[in-house]
Amino acid sequence: MLTSRRNRIATPCLALVLPLLLVSVAHAQRDAPNDWLQRMAAAVQTTNYEGTVIRMQDGGYEVLKVAHTVVDGVIRERVSIQEGNGLEIIRNGNEVHCILPDQESVLVEEWNDQSTLFSALPSSDIRFGSEYDLAIVREDRVAGRKAGLLAIRPHDSFRFGYRIWMDVETGFPLQMQLVADDGSIVEQVKFADISLGQEIPASDLTSSYSTENFRWFTQPSKTVTRTADSQWSNSNLPIGFRTISTQREELPGSDAPVTRILYSDGLAQVSVFIATNKGKKVSQRSRVGASNSYSTEIGDYQVTAIGEVPARTVEQIAISMQPL
Amino acid sequence: MQISAYVDGELPGNEAEMLLRRMSQDAELRQQVADYLATGRMIRGERSVPGMDRLRDRISAAVDERPLQEDTEIVGKDAPRYMRRLAGVAIAASVALAAIFGLQQMLVVSDQPDTAIDNVAQSNLPEAIYTVPDASDDMLREYRLSHGATWLDLGSGSVNARLVSLQSQGVLVDVAADDRLPVGSNDPASDESTNTPDEQTP
Repeated sequence: MLTSRRNRIATPCLALVLPLLLVSVAHAQRDAPNDWLQRMAAAVQTTNYEGTVIRMQDGGYEVLKVAHTVVDGVIRERVSIQEGNGLEIIRNGNEVHCILPDQESVLVEEWNDQSTLFSALPSSDIRFGSEYDLAIVREDRVAGRKAGLLAIRPHDSFRFGYRIWMDVETGFPLQMQLVADDGSIVEQVKFADISLGQEIPASDLTSSYSTENFRWFTQPSKTVTRTADSQWSNSNLPIGFRTISTQREELPGSDAPVTRILYSDGLAQVSVFIATNKGKKVSQRSRVGASNSYSTEIGDYQVTAIGEVPARTVEQIAISMQPL
Repeated sequence: MQISAYVDGELPGNEAEMLLRRMSQDAELRQQVADYLATGRMIRGERSVPGMDRLRDRISAAVDERPLQEDTEIVGKDAPRYMRRLAGVAIAASVALAAIFGLQQMLVVSDQPDTAIDNVAQSNLPEAIYTVPDASDDMLREYRLSHGATWLDLGSGSVNARLVSLQSQGVLVDVAADDRLPVGSNDPASDESTNTPDEQTP
């Protein structure tokens, strides 16, 4: 009798508590940084989206309209710069048209991968070593949607940190910042408004310009690469960086093939290009957004390090290269 | 890193409180926080960088003055039909796209301001001198392009990967009118389906 009464009480209680428990578990799983990254990677590859993006870099900003669909694995995308010359980038599968209306020109490119404008983010496949900490910092709101803020913090000043605001519902990245060690923002991309998972009209994926009388250009196939044994070493790599690959490349403007060695800490990458110094000289230091470069002469070679890392990192890597 | 997390509002409550207590007793720490805030403001553009406006103007002018040139060359058999080559068409896309993107000028930092080419910096810029890249930076553009392709393959890198990559384009070649793919155009002849080159009408 007592047991039966207990059961009568316990059953509705369980019915109430169980969903709460399941929700808590789901939240706990969702809160794990790597789970967020996996959801983000999947969302970027599979989600249709359309919206307005603000890019901030080098102390300025610009506004882009973006529409993106994936149908049967085929990516279609339109990116329109809303200011200045009104550049449009139209992607259909692997073929990309960059339309420059003021110059009445179309540049044709081929992208043989699944990368899109917003897939150049830390992927879930990246293994984070001891050089970064990952943490879900807080919930926030971006483009009118609830977002979780993931912070990827480096342990030293040889690499940038990331802050990624991901849509709670879908995992889609709504905002991303590349952060220097002093807390300043090196680059930022954020949606001002976005619709996710909606059907996108075909007209939103085509050019708004008539390109019939434009001049069309494409790039010649220009880079030949092959794996090569490295004749160079580096005695003072920043902690966590290791050699990923060594290649010989034939680049336009270079009389002889250039050796390229790729270093990575699992998230940031630095390429070191080694050319005979008979060729054209390269500026010692340069920067485009988060991408820094440093060039120096070592013996008969010009050594140039380029990467999305702080200036001190490319400088240290370049000057510590040594021929074997 | 603790200060940067605090400045960004990311420090947990108890750690923020401890830092505030330390700041109340440590003038140097207060100054450090103030410096971080000031640097962030400057980099976010809340204070203009001398020379940037003039740099932008010069790049725009360079694009306007640069004529398109042509030179014919036959492309190899293995190249796609529509990529018939008119090599040497030096549109200087890196310059053009730098102007288009406006915000993405390649900033060359010179250690020798007296010998810098096209020095456009104001005299009150403290250390770095920003210059318009000259022809000698063709190699640097090629390096950036090559590096960009790599980190796209790896699926990571700067969020602006594609746009920086586009900015770094080198020599381009003409596409013959008959070989243009009508991808993503509103032209009357346009076909919105996803066709491969082989499916195009000659």
